[in-house]
Amino acid sequence: MEFWDVLLQQVINGVSLGAMYALLALGFTMVYGIIELINFAHFNIFMVGSFIALWTMQSMGFAGQSHILHGLPLIGVLALVLALTMATTGTLGALIERYTLRPLRGVSGPAPMITTIGLSYVLFNVILLTTGADSKNYSNPMPNVRWDIGGAVLRLREVLLWGLSIALMIALHYFVRRTKMGKAMQATAQDQEAARMVGVDVDQVVVITFFIGSALAGAAGLIFGLYYNYTSFIIGYTAGLRAFTAAVLGGIGNIPGAMLGGVLIGLIESLGGQYLEVRWTDVIIFSILVLVLVFRPTGLLGSPAPTKS
Amino acid sequence: MTKPSSDSLGNAASPDSERREGFLRSLRHRVQEVSGRRVFLVALLTLGVFFPLIDGNEGDIDAAANALAFATLALGLNIVVGFAGLLDLGYAAFFAIGAYAYGIFSSYQVQPEWSAFWEPFQQLGLVQHLQQGAGPGNVHFTVSFWLMLPISALITAFFGVLFGAPTLRLKGDYLAIVTLGFGEIVPIVARNVPYLTNGAQGLNGVTSPSLFGYSFGVKSTPFFYVGLALAGLLIIISLRLKNSRIGRAWLAIREDEIAAEAMGVNRVKLKLLAFAVGAAFAGATGTFYVAKLQTATPEMFTFPVSVMLLVMIVLGGMGSVAGVVLGALILQLLQSWFLQDMTQWIHALGSFTGIDFLQQIDLVQSIELIFGIILVVMMRFRRQGLIPERTAVTALTHAQQSAMPTRGGVKSTTVPLHHRSIDPTTPLLEIKGLSKSFGGIHAVRNIDLTVMPGSIVGIIGPNGSGKTTFFNLVTGLTPPSLGRVMLAGEDVTGLLPHVIVERGIARTFQNLRLFANMTVLENVLIGTHTRTSTGALGAVLRTPAVKREEEAAQARALDGLRIFGNRLVPRVEHLARTLSYANRRRLEIARALVSEPVLLLLDEPTAGMNPAETLELTDQIKHLRDRGVTVLLIEHKLAVVNQIADKVIVLDHGEKIAEGTPKEIHSNRDVLRAYLGRTTDAVATTAAAS
Repeated sequence: MEFWDVLLQQVINGVSLGAMYALLALGFTMVYGIIELINFAHFNIFMVGSFIALWTMQSMGFAGQSHILHGLPLIGVLALVLALTMATTGTLGALIERYTLRPLRGVSGPAPMITTIGLSYVLFNVILLTTGADSKNYSNPMPNVRWDIGGAVLRLREVLLWGLSIALMIALHYFVRRTKMGKAMQATAQDQEAARMVGVDVDQVVVITFFIGSALAGAAGLIFGLYYNYTSFIIGYTAGLRAFTAAVLGGIGNIPGAMLGGVLIGLIESLGGQYLEVRWTDVIIFSILVLVLVFRPTGLLGSPAPTKS
Repeated sequence: MTKPSSDSLGNAASPDSERREGFLRSLRHRVQEVSGRRVFLVALLTLGVFFPLIDGNEGDIDAAANALAFATLALGLNIVVGFAGLLDLGYAAFFAIGAYAYGIFSSYQVQPEWSAFWEPFQQLGLVQHLQQGAGPGNVHFTVSFWLMLPISALITAFFGVLFGAPTLRLKGDYLAIVTLGFGEIVPIVARNVPYLTNGAQGLNGVTSPSLFGYSFGVKSTPFFYVGLALAGLLIIISLRLKNSRIGRAWLAIREDEIAAEAMGVNRVKLKLLAFAVGAAFAGATGTFYVAKLQTATPEMFTFPVSVMLLVMIVLGGMGSVAGVVLGALILQLLQSWFLQDMTQWIHALGSFTGIDFLQQIDLVQSIELIFGIILVVMMRFRRQGLIPERTAVTALTHAQQSAMPTRGGVKSTTVPLHHRSIDPTTPLLEIKGLSKSFGGIHAVRNIDLTVMPGSIVGIIGPNGSGKTTFFNLVTGLTPPSLGRVMLAGEDVTGLLPHVIVERGIARTFQNLRLFANMTVLENVLIGTHTRTSTGALGAVLRTPAVKREEEAAQARALDGLRIFGNRLVPRVEHLARTLSYANRRRLEIARALVSEPVLLLLDEPTAGMNPAETLELTDQIKHLRDRGVTVLLIEHKLAVVNQIADKVIVLDHGEKIAEGTPKEIHSNRDVLRAYLGRTTDAVATTAAAS
């Protein structure tokens, strides 16, 4: 392949990865924006989501890549699986908030974050112990349609994934900007006390934020499976850290920033894997994480947060 | 006054006996609190000494030796997380560095070509000359285990500072993520530089230690004793550091960084010290662990290890030395002994009852699930851990509670508040053109002020007029945009807060910044930080000089508390957060005074006090000058200012609009306008007429 073909192919791959990271990063950024907590459980809610989508498709009779659908039935099945997955992981996130994190609201120090680390471990090991350590072949009803663009290949699944991610992000953007609940979220993120005083039910806002963030993580889990054709109990950690880096890079607490950061990290992963050595990709990504946090904690799009003393 | 003779109430007793009594009592408390744990730790170590004799099973001894290694790691992490409050999620990185340091310097992994350069090292026994066939041959590193223990500690301490330095400005969660990043990078580097580490296959043939010609080989018992000695040493170091000037400063940083800085604690230095000491513990342990396993692979040092250590200190009790040791031992022994047995019991139960599900449970595999559950449950129901860092202090008796308050007062002791000679003719504080703007807002604009020694100057002004910002500029919490601050002729503009405290300016805060989870006595002791000098090494060695300094600091702290009579003295062992509002204000003033200031800045000292308490405090402030302290105070209660201020300055919108005696200020038109609005010229005329 020519240089430009390789580059184009890696950009296609990178944007696809980036779309997934962006969905995952949104959950981190929304929760951080509201209650200044880094939610480690998010890593494995994503992983659980990928399993729930797999189980849903298996129970619908899709095993491996044997059943291929086209047109409306394909979109219908994917939409159904997506809806069920998002509802389940969203509920999981909301339950986690309600029963393990809400009781710690107002506790200073690292207690809430330590709780989320513990929850992440619990999810991880529940899946490991119930499904075993081997990675699972994913059910995938998508036909292997592909277009050649010069030497590069664009597959239908990539186009669908981009479309899905963009649709979810637009929906989220509309929700946050236009709806009453979205405005309550913005108000809570700026000043919890003041929001409470003007009648915002802060507990409700927080639990809904967890629901939405976790539902998006579930969607990302489905995308992971469809993109790589496998899933495993182990996928949460690496993807989660990359998505978190994306959120930090874009400016944590900032929704468009999470999308931008996701795509950038996806591109860094695919281009870094191509032009540098794969084994150093993680070091590059973690270095970005450390450098951004140390030298520009507000990220690319974030504005300096008002300091709370 | 049920018992007028009670010394501890300080009611009727003479000041000296009260002081001695209070002091001794506090020491007794301290000893009692620590002794229960000390018994536990000593019993544990004693049991350890006899353990290999009681249990001759090689596997058990090996498991116990591993448990000791993890206990020492947990002790190190506890320095960083428990004492200094810096949540480190990549602590295993330091374990790895210590492990590879020994592994590389005592194996055949790295073999540079032999040259004359290596000869002196050969003389010292650090390297051997490998000669195979022709050529100069190669170098074989043979650094002794005993030498590498301290060297690894030093190397990792260096990395502790290196990784810690970029994180200094970050707050809680971000700090955790950055350390996690470093924790990920180190094993990846170990995997990717096979020249040094043999990559993923791991280092092989690490030399086993030997002592007086006796080689440890793969026998467990000698390693067990080395581990026990290491654990004992690190327990002692932890305890001594914790109960020292250094440990107190760490706790203060953990509780409130800004207040710690404003009380003279060098935040940067102490945080780096915590990183360095914590890392050094991990470095020595890494060397021990690798010498025992005689191999090192990158997988031994990944994120799950850091989390396991976190689980240990969460279970045992963050900041509690005995708790952390207990937590580490419980989890390690759980893994290596009990889970296997319990799994067998459950299987037996399953086959007995015919329930298949029970027979498939494998608890050993579920250890990480158990870790996760421990973290969630402990955070939800027992955040202080199994052995809390602090035990509850018995409440005051009814008699103590209902005792008649004695005012004490500044004059009740004769100890000078500072030892400096002040020239009464030069201004103590001279401020020229001090300004600060935040974005477009001028919070403080072009303020000039002169404060003569021994005077009391009041600052008044409406809310938002820049009074507190002015204090922040003088004490270095906020760097000024323009202007100079001179203290007794020396320029102190823009110095760091802890340096300014050292120069002699102390302050209190409008919204109270006490160290909530430290005792009253410890709060005041932080005030002595700049006037004492014990370092980490001194604290560990606890030399007679260090002991004397600590005793003097405690006596001084008690003197500071006695300014407020019996209001604070009976409560020295209580946590600051349990105090009443007025007592918290008093405690903040006492804390500031023991730093031996020549100038004290009080930010609304009587806010929230009732009229009687206000009068009492006003009187005490008035007498501070008799003990050589000059006072600058922000106050809203004009009665207070009128009564004690020699001079009043009035701020409005960041500017000084008036200066003069309280009487002059009262009839100043600009002041009235600032306070009462612009349509009050009529009022002003009335005031002038009356």
